[in-house]
Amino acid sequence: MGVIAMRRRGLYRAVAFLAAAGLVAGACGGSDDSAPADTTEESSEEAEAPAEESAEEPAEEPAVEAGDEAEGDVDTEVIEEETTIEYGGSVSVGLEAEATGLRPWEDSCSSPCYNMMIAVYDKLMEQDATGAYAPYLAESITPNEDFTVWTMTLRGDVTFHNGVELTAQTIADMFPIQQAGAAGSGAVTAANLVSVEATGDLEVTYTLSQGGSAFPASLARAPIGMVFDPAAAAADSEGYSMAPIGTGPFVIDSRDLDNETTFVRNDSYWGTDPDGNALPYLDSISFRPIPDEGTRLDALLSGTVNAMQTLRQGTIRDARAARDDDGADITLWEFQGNNLGGGMYNVLVPPFDDVRVRRGLTHLNSQEQVIEALGGTGISLPATQWFSPDSPWWSEKVAEAWPQFDFEGGVAFLTEYINDPERSDGKAAGEMIDVELSCPPDPTLIASTQVVEQAYTATGLVNVTITNYDQQTHIGIALGGENGFVGSHQQHCWRWSSDDDPAVNLNPALAPPTAEIAEAAGLAGAVSPLNFPNWFSPTAFQAVVAANQTDDFETRYGLYESIMLEFADQVPVYYSGHTATAIGTDTNVLGLNSWHVPSGELGIGFPSAEGRWSEVFIAS
Amino acid sequence: MGKVIATRLARLVATLLAVTFLTFSMTALLPGDPVNAILGVDAVRDPEVVAKIRADLGLDDPFLVRYVNWLGNAATGDLGQSYITDQEVITTISQRLPVTAQLAFMAIIMALILAIPIGVLGAYKQGKWQDSTTSAGVQVALSIPNFIVGIFLIWLFSVRLGWLPASNWNRISSDGLVENLKTAILPASALAMTQMAIFSRLVRSDMIATLQENYILAARSKGLSDRFILLRHALRPSSLSLMTIIGINFGALLGGTVIIETLFAIPGVGFRLINAINQRDIIVIQGITVFIATAYVVINTIVDLLYAVVDPRIRKG
Repeated sequence: MGVIAMRRRGLYRAVAFLAAAGLVAGACGGSDDSAPADTTEESSEEAEAPAEESAEEPAEEPAVEAGDEAEGDVDTEVIEEETTIEYGGSVSVGLEAEATGLRPWEDSCSSPCYNMMIAVYDKLMEQDATGAYAPYLAESITPNEDFTVWTMTLRGDVTFHNGVELTAQTIADMFPIQQAGAAGSGAVTAANLVSVEATGDLEVTYTLSQGGSAFPASLARAPIGMVFDPAAAAADSEGYSMAPIGTGPFVIDSRDLDNETTFVRNDSYWGTDPDGNALPYLDSISFRPIPDEGTRLDALLSGTVNAMQTLRQGTIRDARAARDDDGADITLWEFQGNNLGGGMYNVLVPPFDDVRVRRGLTHLNSQEQVIEALGGTGISLPATQWFSPDSPWWSEKVAEAWPQFDFEGGVAFLTEYINDPERSDGKAAGEMIDVELSCPPDPTLIASTQVVEQAYTATGLVNVTITNYDQQTHIGIALGGENGFVGSHQQHCWRWSSDDDPAVNLNPALAPPTAEIAEAAGLAGAVSPLNFPNWFSPTAFQAVVAANQTDDFETRYGLYESIMLEFADQVPVYYSGHTATAIGTDTNVLGLNSWHVPSGELGIGFPSAEGRWSEVFIAS
Repeated sequence: MGKVIATRLARLVATLLAVTFLTFSMTALLPGDPVNAILGVDAVRDPEVVAKIRADLGLDDPFLVRYVNWLGNAATGDLGQSYITDQEVITTISQRLPVTAQLAFMAIIMALILAIPIGVLGAYKQGKWQDSTTSAGVQVALSIPNFIVGIFLIWLFSVRLGWLPASNWNRISSDGLVENLKTAILPASALAMTQMAIFSRLVRSDMIATLQENYILAARSKGLSDRFILLRHALRPSSLSLMTIIGINFGALLGGTVIIETLFAIPGVGFRLINAINQRDIIVIQGITVFIATAYVVINTIVDLLYAVVDPRIRKG
């Protein structure tokens, strides 16, 4: 790394530290990242490296892509690893935070935590490279006609790390623990799951209170999908967090909270690669929480760790510079995914209850300038919907309909509202509107809000107040448990979407936000506190319900497209761009982008910088 | 002496009561619900679970009831249990205190190793170029925040030279002393920079005053060497206020390593405090804050008492 590069990055870090010391903002609310990334292909370059314990010939399947290739610097792409695999060695991974706990049913978990959990637990389902759900610990799963009953057959001859055999009864016994768990209870409710029964040695029957064609997505998420030993969990729930027991590729070896957690190879692991080689390849893997983005990258560059994750496009930018300009021997495994930054307008609070204000403010939001402020130029793409251009759910029609940056257009909408004698905020015609724009105190988010503030102020029509609260407070304000989940927010930074099935994110976001609204719509009881903008549209809600009743992709695509079109028309939410994430590794750490589901298909890769470590290996 | 001790202890108790009340008040005033942090956003959709957790944690009780309950438990050494990790707060602190204490101790030692020669040189060469140069250097050291120093040290010794790890902590118990020192040296150096500047300025000013004393002139007239006079006759009496500052700063460092521990990802008390703040783990925030305040006040009290022991004028006064 050159001195100039160091100075530039050092300045960013100094500013970041000044603003963030003590309040290391995590992720919600847009974060700094709205970025795409390019999955580097250096992984396949070292085909001549000698193998210590050779497997088969290099696979020759063609590259598989998750949807169409994105236009931009980041292509979410998984490919078959062509380098001959090798057994042995250890990988140390720098994470952005310590896991709050390692109990899938109990501990609220985000990207760093999943990296650790996925080492020790297997999920019943996983997403393949196309985003479809494929059996993992399950062998098969089939619904009844109305998707209220799902029958799953488990893989046989699977044992937990403590030697206990996995059976259908295991899954049934997990259910009451999940129902009572802090993380599991919400997931059970969201999935409308009412019972789990063992209907055979390896056959499990899930019953839902409402049809859910996307139910397999719930089995691919930690709270319901990760399989643990219920007897051990019931015996010592707190101890389980420090000494988790799963069926996964690695076994807990030591857990030094806030410093290092080490897992060693599970010699009895059931999984194999498509060539029949036993997994995992590594002898051990350790995870170290390194919250400072710069230090985490420096730890990789200095060899303190040989892998690191980041959810920040600024770090991706710095890592690219280290690799491309300074010749650092690192590989960046970048992933665009559907996650995007932006925010919401609380439509129950004037003046945001008027679509003219929402449209006007959205037209004033220059995503390019915000992306630049976030450090994502050349990394991020502007967003128009909850799906990135490489997602099968992405719609060109929505992209065309989304209100793009148009200063004059924005001024026109705001002027119309301001001059309306019946304007909703009770002010006299001609008076400026008041906007409280709130984001977590992430330095890059602060920079991006200042860009928006400048645009608003330049109109002469908007009084802007910027507020910054720590992430938990920021979420709490939007959640608004104290006032019937309406929240006290106005314009509020937020993150939207993920690579899960659209139902996972859209179901709770479109249900009636309050009991009164639900009753008025004839939907008493169907209230969701997770409808943060408090925007309710009967047509959008009907669309999301209809999408739960069918597994036909084209039908569902049309329904979700209609929802996104309504978003573009009513703009309860706005965007600051797509979000790239990355895992950086030493160049000899391979296999992150070429793990497989048991059927032999390539897995989804590493969304949200969540690596699957069973097929990772170190090339000589 | 007994009266001095009693007065100090009374002040200590009053300070701790004030600290605990303020900490409790401030965390209670924060908007939002700690249950959100415990459950995660997805899980709050189940009102029964939310209500149960609130009841379990006593979050529905009035503020004063919660404070008195907590204070009563704290008085018996029970600082509560983390909402998030389920770990006892006292266990959390006891596991992390050795790390923070080692960092603070190393920082003080490293600072002294540099500060004493610099301070003595400045005093001995008062007004000359050596004094000007060291004073300017000390001023610079005092002006640079320690996290900036830390960032530079990581860049130089980890990224550029590859001599030392950039982050995390090797424990003496599992990795041995040498490996431990490899991870401790950079953060301790970053912490030492400011301490060094403070100590050296103190040594310089005290030494200058001491060097004006008649007994120093007498020693010079006897033909004793400058080195002997500086080290044997001038340094010792000039060290009294230095000792006081060392004690106070050691106490301050126990709570003041937060940023450096976060920067270097070191599992000390400060790092845990930051995590607790981010997770809205109020019990841990309260426990660690009270511990830091207690450590600071206790160490100050001990230093005051020792000072009184060492200097009879204070004891009598």
